[in-house]
Amino acid sequence: MLGMFLLWKRTVRAQAWAVLLLDLFVLVLWAAGGGGNFWPAWVWLPTGLVVGWGWWAAQPAGALKRHVGQVTLLALFLIGIWMASGFGTFWPVYPIAGLAFVLGLRAVMRREQSEARVETLTTSRAGAVEAAESQLRRIERDLHDGAQARLVALGMNLGLAEQQLTKDPEKAQEHLADARAAAAAALQELRDLARGIHPPILADRGLDAAVRALATHAAVPVAVDVELAERPSVAVETAAYFVAAEGLANALKHAHASRIDIDVHEREDAVVVRVLDDGRGGASEVEGGLHGLRQRVEALDGSLRIASPAGGPTVIEAVLPCVR
Amino acid sequence: MRAVIAEDLALLRDGLTRLLRDNDIEVVDAVSDGDALVHAVVREQPDIAIVDIRMPPTFRDEGLRAALELRERVPETAILIISQYVEGTYARELLADGRGGVGYLLKDRVMDVEAFVEAVRRVADGGTALDPEVVAHFVGRRDRLAALTPRENEVLSLMAEGRSNAGIAEALVLTVGAVEKHVASILQKLQLPPSDETHRRVLAVLAYLDAS
Repeated sequence: MLGMFLLWKRTVRAQAWAVLLLDLFVLVLWAAGGGGNFWPAWVWLPTGLVVGWGWWAAQPAGALKRHVGQVTLLALFLIGIWMASGFGTFWPVYPIAGLAFVLGLRAVMRREQSEARVETLTTSRAGAVEAAESQLRRIERDLHDGAQARLVALGMNLGLAEQQLTKDPEKAQEHLADARAAAAAALQELRDLARGIHPPILADRGLDAAVRALATHAAVPVAVDVELAERPSVAVETAAYFVAAEGLANALKHAHASRIDIDVHEREDAVVVRVLDDGRGGASEVEGGLHGLRQRVEALDGSLRIASPAGGPTVIEAVLPCVR
Repeated sequence: MRAVIAEDLALLRDGLTRLLRDNDIEVVDAVSDGDALVHAVVREQPDIAIVDIRMPPTFRDEGLRAALELRERVPETAILIISQYVEGTYARELLADGRGGVGYLLKDRVMDVEAFVEAVRRVADGGTALDPEVVAHFVGRRDRLAALTPRENEVLSLMAEGRSNAGIAEALVLTVGAVEKHVASILQKLQLPPSDETHRRVLAVLAYLDAS
């Protein structure tokens, strides 16, 4: 209890001391006035309410404990008034019943809210696991059919060259050239694969440079505006990048846009990424890219909004909460 | 010719050293991070520094940053950046001062030893070498390049890779004279201020990269 008192916000503590002094002062006044009707109770009750309210308001917002505390305090206040006004009919029972009802309702609602939250988290987690799983499968397949196969060919060609080196140097040279071509192709495939997982310029220079680099390669004018006070976490940064990349790819491929705007900014502890194009609209989530994007965004507890009426324009907006 | 190599992977550092020595290029130092590179180049004043982009301690773009620092501190040393990936942004930064003596190639290019060594010599001599992959990103760009004919565009993209007029002539099956005419026309259309040939070629390449 003492620990809690010490942890109490300094302003609230100062307030408590002031109130205590005031209460003592009126007690002295009452005693000096020769006692009689105990009127200081009418000062103690409201000041006590104010300090108690401050105490509970300092508790974390949304905690059920805080509501219980405040309701109990109100009930005690009402009982205090009832006692100070000379007992009689126990009228506080009505407002207290009302308060209890509201509190009960609140508890039930919180329960429902948390159940809905659990459901959302379960779905988005399953989506995230599925997305990660399918990405790993794709990488495995790409490695197997691409770089691995190329390296087998490379080894084979080197073996053949070794075998032919003395017998048929010309043939050996051909095999060596093939080996080099296989190595070059393997490198190219590995590079494309790595870029799809985490683009190097994003790691090197952050979102602004990476999104600008995306825009450079577009055949349509792209206006980029990135305003972030500091670099977000890697997960948020990567997701924001892929929202921009996927939104841009979508606009370039389907929308016949003549202008694309990519806008990244902060809004209340979240990074907001918006891709806007003036194309013909009708973007659908069913086909590939945008669905994967939703899973990626929701895995971070974010939300993705796609507005794409026929005839355009198309807006893709992701809100990615940042836990700092 | 004297060279300094900065590459953190020992396998590649040793391989590169051997490759250069086999081609009569003296490797005066081979280091594995950006700070060591700056020290080595300031001390040795080599003709060229061959630098990997991603190195310790952060494994981001410290090689490039060190290279940009060296461009200012030791302007006589040419810089050839080699990397597993190419970014147009980085190419622009390297060329930004409008001087020659810079190159930016994928590491893959070492597989063609002759072409690689040729690129090293060309950059050390004050020329440029941009990876075809960087150049390809910028093919068919708008704006300033719109005035160029398709043929001039082709010539400019080969110029961006760092090829000489003779090299361009060979690649496009043209006479050197015809290439010279195209180059003159490109420089004129891009309204580049008159100065020496190398400088104007670098500026043309920059215009090419900036056209986006």
